Amino acid sequence: MEKKVIKSERLGEQYTYVKHPTGLDIYLWKMEGRSTTYALFGTKYGSINNKFKTKDEADFVTVPNGIAHFLEHKLFENEDCDVFSLYAKTGASANAYTSFDKTCYLFSCTDNVYDSLEILLSFVQNPYFTEETVQKEQGIIGQEIRMYDDDANWRVFFNMLQGMYLNHPVKIDIAGTVESIAEIDADLLYKCYNTFYNLNNMVLSIAGNIDEDKVLELCDKLLKNKGNPELETAFEPEPDTVCQREVVQKLEVALPIFNIGFKAEPPETAIETVRAEIETNFVLSLIANDTSDFYKKLYDEGLINSSFSSEVFLGDGYFCSIFGGESRDPRLVRDRIIAEIERCKKEGLDRERFETVKKAYYGGLIRDYNRAEPIATMLLNMAMTGNLSPFDVIETVAAVTFEDVSARLEKQFDTEKVTLSIIEPVRGEGEQA
Amino acid sequence: MAIKYNREKIGDGIYYSSVTDGFQKTNNIYINFITELSEDTAALNAVISSIISGSSREYPTMTSLKRRLAELYSAFVKGSVTKMGDSQLVTLEVGCINDRYALDGEAVTEEAVKILAGCLTDPHIENGAFYEKDFELKKQELIDDIEAEINEKRSFAFKRANASIYKDEPAALSAMGEKSRAEKITAKEAYDQYKKLIRTARVEIAFSGASDMPVCKEIMKDAFDRIGRDYTGGSTSSLSAVKDKVCRVTERYDIAQSKMVMAFKTDFQDDIAMRLMSAVYGALPTSKLFMNVREKLSLCYYCSSGYNNNKGVLYVDSGVEQANIGKAEAEILSQLEAVKHGDFTDEEIENARKARVNSVKGTNDSAAHVAVWYFQEIYDGKERSPEEYIDRLMRITREDIIAAANSLKLDTVYVLTGKETD
Repeated sequence: MEKKVIKSERLGEQYTYVKHPTGLDIYLWKMEGRSTTYALFGTKYGSINNKFKTKDEADFVTVPNGIAHFLEHKLFENEDCDVFSLYAKTGASANAYTSFDKTCYLFSCTDNVYDSLEILLSFVQNPYFTEETVQKEQGIIGQEIRMYDDDANWRVFFNMLQGMYLNHPVKIDIAGTVESIAEIDADLLYKCYNTFYNLNNMVLSIAGNIDEDKVLELCDKLLKNKGNPELETAFEPEPDTVCQREVVQKLEVALPIFNIGFKAEPPETAIETVRAEIETNFVLSLIANDTSDFYKKLYDEGLINSSFSSEVFLGDGYFCSIFGGESRDPRLVRDRIIAEIERCKKEGLDRERFETVKKAYYGGLIRDYNRAEPIATMLLNMAMTGNLSPFDVIETVAAVTFEDVSARLEKQFDTEKVTLSIIEPVRGEGEQA
Repeated sequence: MAIKYNREKIGDGIYYSSVTDGFQKTNNIYINFITELSEDTAALNAVISSIISGSSREYPTMTSLKRRLAELYSAFVKGSVTKMGDSQLVTLEVGCINDRYALDGEAVTEEAVKILAGCLTDPHIENGAFYEKDFELKKQELIDDIEAEINEKRSFAFKRANASIYKDEPAALSAMGEKSRAEKITAKEAYDQYKKLIRTARVEIAFSGASDMPVCKEIMKDAFDRIGRDYTGGSTSSLSAVKDKVCRVTERYDIAQSKMVMAFKTDFQDDIAMRLMSAVYGALPTSKLFMNVREKLSLCYYCSSGYNNNKGVLYVDSGVEQANIGKAEAEILSQLEAVKHGDFTDEEIENARKARVNSVKGTNDSAAHVAVWYFQEIYDGKERSPEEYIDRLMRITREDIIAAANSLKLDTVYVLTGKETD
């Protein structure tokens, strides 16, 4: 068993990385004297991984949309009981989530941490699906999908992705559709489970008042080595343009809600991905955060309100920068952002604010180290990005230069590759229901 | 290291709490003004919280204030209004990193708290009113925010349900107030109300961080000394009376999934027993509602209960297909009947109890969470520590749970739904 202590001088913090003989990557962050322990057991398997092959298959297979999320729901059911009822005996608060590129099972507890960990490690490794239980879940997930149909912030985001991407499955809703989940059966669930829920493809991350030896003892006892299926995932080639420049939908909202996305090439390596994300965040802050002149102008004109924000959205095979918020005139906001980006390319970014943006970035990262939950989550996320450490993020931020950020502006913001998504109100302003 | 909590009076109707845990990498201070929720002042207070948190005499524009805060490692000043029972809380808050993480050794916390004090006592004004241009933008933003409540359907259903559940009580109002009132506010009226609020309302200030910083208390004390107080008493909540006849309201919007909020009222005194009852009945993924309405009947993705102890109201909220609303209501009622009749196992009680203990103990994970815990306790006039709460929780019996359930009477069934279908 390979064991390493990773330290940050800057933070005065450390954690332990263990490569378990079964292939599992384990991250343990001891927080002595704290009340809560937070544990995550996750697989690099999300909604985008709908095309894959293993060493046992000659060709790639494609599975129905929403199956990773469906599988997450179904793993909560054992042969004889519901997993929640097992956790009920330890008092832990348990949950799970599926994103674009990962599925994670988690618990948070103040007592009986090893009993809870035993439950977590056991149920995730013991699937049980029948046609009957699959059918029941179709009703529940159907209601989850319907709930998101009414969620304007969710819709505006997915509509933008659908406008931006022609082939990449990131454009598909994580839960799939009522139609796609109707195609799911027990056999398909087992196939996906056996492919992606392999310990070589998984991460365990725990932060809290834990005894490392006890955790590893439990791992030795419970982790099952099923061999490495040599998993490969694939995506259709994605063209270097956006699919649609504008997507509009009407919903019950007050003001129009918008997402404006700039499509860019995804970086090749893990560390390059982290750099690209950080430097692009610098660009977004310099151009349009609430300390910028540009933000002030738009705000004073009443074109945006304090809901205006920006973010970098990235993963396996996709990378874009998104500006979002509410506005009476989203098309004008888009035009102004494009003009500002072109101006910055010509005249340069605001060098005076660079050090301030860096300090603010650093301060924001420090906040994440207060509690077990964000710490365990960061460990898992960085591990899944490519065996990186959250400390790499802090050090990368500290090392970023103004020149790095300026180069990123040129590279990541092509004003020809823009998709605007708008959710318009079903009623005109002031009109009553 | 154990949590340290201390609360003291530092002025007329002003209390200062300090919660420290030796761990936090950030420091926070919030100032809560506790005032009666009223149709006349709700929107006024909402716009005030947003103006004074957005600028001050020293930092007269949003941009200058935000830039200074960004230099302090993304410190923030936040203003908000929330509802607690029949009261409106007007909150002004500052947060920043602990000084030991500052790269150049700056006194970040002291500087950030001084900025907060400046926002509180020295707003950007002209001619005896808030600075007009800022005011107009903030007012429009408030109106937009009130209208945007419809964007989040689950919370919007709650807002609309509250109007019926608490008819003719302050709790019927939304924390941000009504649009029609917001539209009439002037910069002068808002400034006058601001002066009144900070002079007369009850104030609870809380510091949370790794270790106590007496300088923060001194800055706060000085600020309120400068204000000059004329304290007129606190705001409290009263239990909501159950209606003679169940109130049924259906409202139609252009939505896919219907939302149902059911409210049950009680004058039961033991809030700890009632919350444990709610855990058996509907607050958890092992509760009767989740196991039956969701897992067995597949009717909902969410269907859960919660308890507002300030008003004595237990509510159940769910998202359901229009065609299944009747079925869901019948099952929600039948599961409550089961609890009333003691139709639950000792294991169900112990499971619910463990989950409650886990949740209360988890508060100790962060000094900031403990500060919020004590604020809620103080508002209720109780000031129990998490440990005292757990001590009582361990002694709740099956009979207490049954008694709690039997005290509940159905008061309101509110449904937010789409266009009529066959």
